[in-house]
Amino acid sequence: MTLPVLSLMLVTLLGGTLLTFASRDRARYVALATSVAFLLEVSALLASYTVWPGPVNGSPGYADLESYSWIHLSWLSINYTVGVDGISLILILLTAFLQVATVVYSWEESKHPEAYHGLVLLTCLGCFGVFIALDVLLFFLFWEIVLVPMFFLIGVWGGPRRRYAALKFFVYTHVASIVMLVGLLALVFYSGAKSFDFASVYVAARGLSATVQTFLFLALFFGFGVKFPIVPFHTWLPDAHVEAPTGGSVLLAGLLLKLGGYGLIRWAVEVLPVGMAHLTPLLYVVAFAMIVWGSFVALAQRDLKRLVAYSSINHMGIVLLAIAVYSQLGLLAAVLLMFAHGVVSALLFMASGSVHHTFGTRDISKLGGIARTAPILATMVMVGSLASLGLPALISFPAEFTALLATWDRIGYWVLVPLVILVVTAAFYLWMMQRMLFGPARNVPATAHDLPWYETSAMAILLALIVIYGILPGFLVNVIVNSPVYGFPGFP
Amino acid sequence: MFETDFIATFTPELLVLGAALLIFLLDVVGVRRLEAFGAVAVSGISLAFLAVVADLGFAPLAVLRTIPAGSVDLPLSASLTAVTSLGLVFQAIFLVSAFLVALASLSRPSGERGAAVFFGLVLMATLGMLLAAVANDLIFLLLSVEVTGIATYLLVGYTRKDARSLEAAMKFYIVGALSSTLSFFGASLLFGAYGGTGFLVLARQTAALGYPALALAGYALLIAGLGFKLTLVPFHAWAVDVYDGAPDDVSAFLAGGSKKIGIFAFFLVFVGPVLAAPALGRWCSLSRCSTLQLPATVELALGIIAILTMTVGNVLALMQPEMKRLLAYSSISQAGYMLIGVVVGTSAALTGTTLQVVAHVFMKAGAFLVVAAVVGLGVGPRVDDWKGLGRRRPYLMLAFALMLLSLAGVPLTVGFVSKFVLFSSAVQAEGWFVWLAVAGLLNSALSVFYYVRVLKSVYLDAPAPSAAADARLDRPIGVGRTAAIAIAVIAIVALGIDPQPILGGIQSATTHFLQIGA
Repeated sequence: MTLPVLSLMLVTLLGGTLLTFASRDRARYVALATSVAFLLEVSALLASYTVWPGPVNGSPGYADLESYSWIHLSWLSINYTVGVDGISLILILLTAFLQVATVVYSWEESKHPEAYHGLVLLTCLGCFGVFIALDVLLFFLFWEIVLVPMFFLIGVWGGPRRRYAALKFFVYTHVASIVMLVGLLALVFYSGAKSFDFASVYVAARGLSATVQTFLFLALFFGFGVKFPIVPFHTWLPDAHVEAPTGGSVLLAGLLLKLGGYGLIRWAVEVLPVGMAHLTPLLYVVAFAMIVWGSFVALAQRDLKRLVAYSSINHMGIVLLAIAVYSQLGLLAAVLLMFAHGVVSALLFMASGSVHHTFGTRDISKLGGIARTAPILATMVMVGSLASLGLPALISFPAEFTALLATWDRIGYWVLVPLVILVVTAAFYLWMMQRMLFGPARNVPATAHDLPWYETSAMAILLALIVIYGILPGFLVNVIVNSPVYGFPGFP
Repeated sequence: MFETDFIATFTPELLVLGAALLIFLLDVVGVRRLEAFGAVAVSGISLAFLAVVADLGFAPLAVLRTIPAGSVDLPLSASLTAVTSLGLVFQAIFLVSAFLVALASLSRPSGERGAAVFFGLVLMATLGMLLAAVANDLIFLLLSVEVTGIATYLLVGYTRKDARSLEAAMKFYIVGALSSTLSFFGASLLFGAYGGTGFLVLARQTAALGYPALALAGYALLIAGLGFKLTLVPFHAWAVDVYDGAPDDVSAFLAGGSKKIGIFAFFLVFVGPVLAAPALGRWCSLSRCSTLQLPATVELALGIIAILTMTVGNVLALMQPEMKRLLAYSSISQAGYMLIGVVVGTSAALTGTTLQVVAHVFMKAGAFLVVAAVVGLGVGPRVDDWKGLGRRRPYLMLAFALMLLSLAGVPLTVGFVSKFVLFSSAVQAEGWFVWLAVAGLLNSALSVFYYVRVLKSVYLDAPAPSAAADARLDRPIGVGRTAAIAIAVIAIVALGIDPQPILGGIQSATTHFLQIGA
C-alpha cells in the first residue's frame, strides 16, 4: 500500500486550520507555516507525478488514488475516493501559491486575525478538496465547505455594503449548488451507477440517451456556471469581489471561479460529452456574451477593484469558450487560462487593495501619478495589467493564444469576436494605467507611502509566477496533457 | 414464569415508570431540591436507555417478544404488544430526547417550584412513547399516544403562573382531545370494517376484503388524528402557539421528543405489518412493496400532505421575527420530510425517515435548549434581539450555528446525511415519488434562507448598545445544560461525518419491520 498522500495533505490543511483558529496572537505564523508546508507537499506531489496510470477497466485511472467506504447501504454506496490528474494538479498548485500569498499579504490583519487566517485556510481546504474529490457526494461536500468561510470573510471583514454582498453571494451560489446537486444525483440514479465514484459514474453515463445527457448537462452547466460566473447569473460577482476584503477577493477570483471551470470539465464535459455536443451553441453564446459584456462593462468602471472584477468575467468567458470548442488544444487552453487568470487577478486585487489603503480611494479618476509616490505598487499594477491584457512573455499570453488557436480550429472566423475584444481589454487597461500611474500626482495624502514588506513579498510571489510561467509555459502544459481525458475515446 | 417474562420485556418502561413514581413519592415526602428530582429522572432514563440498547444488541429478529408470553403461547396476531427492532430503535430515540431535556433542566434554579411535576411528567410522557413503540394493536397504540398526550398537556402549563403558558396548555389540550377523538373514531370504523384492531388482523382482513368505504373513512380519520400529533398541514396550526407559549425546556421536549411518537404511529398504521403482511402474497424486501397495497388515493393524499407540510412550514418560517416561532415552523417542515418515508414505504425510505428522526432530536431539541439558555440570560425572544451574540457567547452560538446548519442540511452534519438518504430513497423508488425528493430538495434550499438570516443576525450584526453593556449576558448557563447541548452538537457532527454505525443498524431494523408476520 502506498502512502495516502492526498489525505495527508488534507490533514495538513485541516490541522493547520484548527490550530490557526485556536492560536490567538500567533495565528499568522501558524497559517504561514501551514501554507508553506502545503506548498512543499504540492511540489513533492508534482515532482512524483510522471505519467497518468492509464484506463482501468474502461474507466479513467487517477494518480494517488485512495478509496474508503463511507456510507454503505444496500441501495447506496458512497466512498471517500480521492485522486489527481494533470488538470487538478495544476489547480492544486494554484491553490497552494495563492494560499501563501494571501496569508503573507494579510500579515498585519488586525481584526480577529485568528479567525481571518483560519477562514482563509478553510477556503483553501475546501478548494483543495474539490480538486481531489472523485466521489459525487465528497465533491459536493467540499464544494459546500467553501461557501461558509467565504460568507464570513465577506460579511465580517468586507467593505461598507458587506452584509448585502455576503447574503447575495450566499443566495446565488447556494441555489446553484442545489441545482448542481440535483444534476449530479440524477446522473447517478438515472445512469444506474453502482457507486457514487467518478469511475463508475463515468462508465454508467456512457449508457445514457442523448436527451437525458443533454438535460443533465444543462443542470450541471447552470450549477457550475453561476460560480464561473456565466452571464446573466454573474451579478453576485462584482458585489462580492468589491465588498470582500483583499484576501477574500483574491481567493474569490483566484480560486472560487476556478471551481466552476474545474467542475464543468470534470463532472460535465468528461462524463456527458454527447449532452455537451447538443448544447455547444448555447455554450458559445454564453461565452461570447461573457467576453463582450465583461470587457465593455469593465471599460465603464471608475472603481479599480470593480474594473478588475468585470475583467474576470471577460477572462472566464474565454475559459468557457476554450471548453466549448471541445478539443485537446481547447482543454489545455482552458486549464492554462484558469491558472493564468488565478495568478493575475490575484495580483491585481492585491494591488487595488494596496491602492485603496495607501491613497484612500480606488476611484481611477481621482488618482494620478502613483508611479512617483509608490513605484513598487505602480510596478505591480503595471505588470498585472500587462499580463491581463495578454502581453507576450507573461503568463496569459500562451494561454490566450492557445485558446484562440483552438477556437480558430473549430469555428473559424468567429475567433474575431474574442480577438477584437482583446483589443478593447488592452484599451481599458492602458487607459487605466495612463490615468492612474502616470501623469501628475493627484490626491496624494500626506501619509502615502510605498508598499510594506509583506504586501511586496506577497505580490512578488505572484509576479515571479507570471514571469516564469510566461516564459516557460511548457512545464504547465506537460502536466496538463498528462491527464486521463487526453486518452478518452472520441476526444478530438 | 409470567412475571419474569413480563419484567424482562418491559424493563425500559418499568424503569421509567418507577423513576416517575419515585419522584412523586419524594415530592410527597417533602423533598424540595430540583437536583434530587432531576437526578432520579436522568438516571431512570439512562438505565432504560441501556436496557433498550442491550436488547438491540441481541436482536437479529424482527419480533423479539410478545405479551402475554411464556406460559400462554399466544399467536402474534392476538398480542397487544410486539417488541420489534425498529420499535427498539425508536425507544432509544425517545429516551435520548427525554435524557437531553432532563439533563438540561438540571441547570434550572434549584428552588424552582413544580420541579417534581416537571420531571415526573416528562417521565410519564416518555412512558407513553415507549409503549407506543411496542404496540401491536391500534387501540393499544392510541392509548399509549394518549398517555403521552395527557402528560404533555400538563407539562405545557405546569408553571401555573404564566398566562401565555396556560393559554398554550388549554389550546394544546383542546386540539389534542379533538385529535384523539378523531383517531379513536377512525379505529372504531376500522373495527367495524375488519372485525379487529390488531395490526396483523387488519392486514389479513385487508387482504381478504380489500378496502371497503368504511375502512377508507377510518384511515382518513386516522390521518387527521395522528396528523395533529405530527403537526402535518392542515392540522399544524396549534403547534406554533404551543411551542411558543410553553416553557422553553418543554418546547424542546415537545418538538424534539414527543412529536416523534406521531411518525412511529404512521409507520405502524400505514406502512408496517398492517399492509405488508405475507397474506397479501408479497414479500417485502428492498424494493418497494407495502405501499402497493395502500390504495392509491391514500398514498397520494399522504404525498400531497407531505409536500404541503414542508412547504407551508418553510414559507411561514421565512417571515417569522421570533426565534421560537421560527423554530416551530421549521419543525413543521421537518415533519413533512419525515412523512416521505411513510409515503414511499420501502425499507430504504423508512431508513431515511428514521435517520431524519434521529437527526431531528439532536438538532431541534438542541436548538430549543440553546434558546432556553439564551432567554435565561435575559435576551429577548426576537431574532433581532440576538444581534452580536456570536462575539459575546462564541461557544454557545457555535453550537446553535451547527444545529441550524444541520437543520438546513449543510454537509458534514447529520441533517445532511439524513435528508440525503431520505431523498435518494424517494428517487430510487421511482414513479411519482421522485417529485417528493424534488419538493424536499427545493424546500431545503428555501429553508437555508431563514437559518442564514439568524446566523447573519448572530454573527454579522452589531449588538444593540443596551445589550453590549448588559452584564447578565456573561453568566454561566449551568453544567447540565452545557452537557446536554454539547452532547447534541457532538452527535450532530459525529453522525454527520460517519453515519455508518447507526445507519447499518437502522437499515436492518427497517428491513425486519417490513417482514413482520412473514
